[in-house]
Amino acid sequence: MIRRRFALSPALLMSLALAGLLIVVVLDLPPQPGLAGPVAQAMDQAGVGHPVTAVLLNFRGYDTFLELAVLMLAVLSIWSLGRRDPIPARPVQGPVMHGTLRHLIPVAVVTGGYLVWVGSSDSGGAFQGGAVLGAAGVMLMLSLPREMPMPPALLQRLGLSLGVFAFLAVGTAGLLAGHGFMGYPPAWAYHLILGIELAAAVSIALTLVLLFLGGRSRKVRHDR
Amino acid sequence: MPWMDVMADMALAPWLVILPLAGALLAGLWPAAARWWGLLTGLLTLPMALLLALQVHAHGPMVLYLGGWVPPLGIALVADGLASLMLLMTAGVGLAISLYALGYLTGETGGRWFWILWLWLWAAMNALYLSGDVFNLYVTLELVVLASVALVALAGGAAPLVAAMRYLLVSLLGSMAYLMGVALLYGSYGVLDLQGLGAQVALSAAPMLAAALMTVGLMAKSALFPLHVWLPPAHGSAPAPVSAALSALVVKVSFYLMLRLWLTVFPALPLPGLDMLMGALAMGAVLWGGLMALRASRLKQVVAYSTVAQVGYLFLLFPFLRAFPDGWKAVVFFAVAHGVAKAAVFLAAGTLQRAAGHDRLADLGAVMRGRLKTSFALGIAGASLVGLPFTGGFIAKWLLVQTALEAGLWIWVLMVLGGGLLAGAYVFRLLGPAFQPGPADPGQPLPAVMEWVPLALALLTIGLGFAGTPVLSLLTRTLTGGGG
Repeated sequence: MIRRRFALSPALLMSLALAGLLIVVVLDLPPQPGLAGPVAQAMDQAGVGHPVTAVLLNFRGYDTFLELAVLMLAVLSIWSLGRRDPIPARPVQGPVMHGTLRHLIPVAVVTGGYLVWVGSSDSGGAFQGGAVLGAAGVMLMLSLPREMPMPPALLQRLGLSLGVFAFLAVGTAGLLAGHGFMGYPPAWAYHLILGIELAAAVSIALTLVLLFLGGRSRKVRHDR
Repeated sequence: MPWMDVMADMALAPWLVILPLAGALLAGLWPAAARWWGLLTGLLTLPMALLLALQVHAHGPMVLYLGGWVPPLGIALVADGLASLMLLMTAGVGLAISLYALGYLTGETGGRWFWILWLWLWAAMNALYLSGDVFNLYVTLELVVLASVALVALAGGAAPLVAAMRYLLVSLLGSMAYLMGVALLYGSYGVLDLQGLGAQVALSAAPMLAAALMTVGLMAKSALFPLHVWLPPAHGSAPAPVSAALSALVVKVSFYLMLRLWLTVFPALPLPGLDMLMGALAMGAVLWGGLMALRASRLKQVVAYSTVAQVGYLFLLFPFLRAFPDGWKAVVFFAVAHGVAKAAVFLAAGTLQRAAGHDRLADLGAVMRGRLKTSFALGIAGASLVGLPFTGGFIAKWLLVQTALEAGLWIWVLMVLGGGLLAGAYVFRLLGPAFQPGPADPGQPLPAVMEWVPLALALLTIGLGFAGTPVLSLLTRTLTGGGG
């Protein structure tokens, strides 16, 4: 019965047709090195040692900047919808949960920080580090029996916009200093990129926690 | 002029992204002052956009490599005739919407959020117009979608939330289709730069599929019939400044992107039957939108269905492009004329709705007679939608008809003229209540700005009636796939 209904569904038929087309076309694509060559050639001016970080934070930094903006706008959009319900009170956790968290949270913070820092020379970076920090934040929120007190509204907003703001400031400074919008002076590129990554990691972690919580907290007094 | 030479050395294009983005960030940090950040942004962005258009007109297209990284490695910002015209229209209509919102949103909950989201939307649209990279365009498109959906939901209540959700789903589907196209293009050619892709795209399966996916995705976002069902509830139930921004600007954004792709990336692809298919859908849009606008009983619903109809004309792009390479310019002029006129109509409708406390067409007579400035604005802007002489809409339709005649495409001439008749019918239906005898009642007291801004925009549509030559000459400074 269910199978027959699905077989007749036009959406399913169209998805299958598109999937078939995509498979045929993708299998037929010529081997394509992409931009690996140009990236390798420009690595000596990138300021960082890892090609992925060089692409994300330098060659195509503008994309990453706008992606950070997408994350921030997602939180703002959700905040614009209204206030969130408090998380229902949970039973007080036993000693095992407590002890585990006491070890896990510091480890997550160190791991997150390490991932951000190592991004300049190896796999890692602001998004990975921010995701680990964000997960630690969500875990902390869920394990406490009551709502954790939130930092003041201004601080939340500052933390949320830190990454975009740092990126925009550095990018605009590059424009004014003659390196082009979103350009770094080559000598400072490493330090500027690391600074942006740190700021971005804080914003990304906060974004994830705030997205998990849903609407704005009762303390964010936006529209009295 | 010496000052022009000085200005030519200054890279204006990035500032058109930096300014609204900084405004959006500051408005988010200090929501209590959000309206003033919004106003400041509008006041700074308009002269900047005007200067950029003058610069492009004087010196031709300007390409800027972000961070100094030349494509294919880096991302290019392209300020050419088409981009600077869209920036200018957005800045003009955007400033008008901002001024209107100052009066419309006083002391109302949600006012601050309007400003924050609206500035984000503005920044995202500007970034999209200037981007010269297919993936970067996707990111800007996402920003536009997020901000627009949140703005639709701002009205609160069940109907706007349902409309916003439907809008979100359709937009995401469109974005995904676009992204699949980007992946196919990168997989085929290993570059993301528009010009670089344009130089390489040749007739084969992958770029054909990419072109089809991207075109259909953007069609859904532009609400081309029959993918229009999300538009009337979304545009009709939003607050007036939001409706104006969505109908006048956001719909044009996806049209702009489609035009940009077909001008630079896909000119070498003759998709069989595309021009006839798009022309048929365009005709369906003009007919269906016009008929629904005749049937709708509420003011804002009529205006929203009018957008469905007018989007149809934008898609004459495809038959025109097939007929001869310059055919797109008439369509772009139409997009600008429609943007200004539709913003005026939606803002005037918002004023009447606020004054009367409702927007049921049958009961608006007294308020329309009591608020003559607004009714006058509605009338002039409506005349531009119909295409009556001395308005931008007249020149736009003149150019469309002229293009169709030069190409020998009689059927589109009939469509433009017939669509004009339909538009005439629903615009007279809008204005009808004002001419019935009866008492005049200005309704609720309103800030003066809510009457003057629609009037100013309506007068601007008359100004556009005389702007055909400079606009077309600006559009000749557009980068296309042919290299110039």
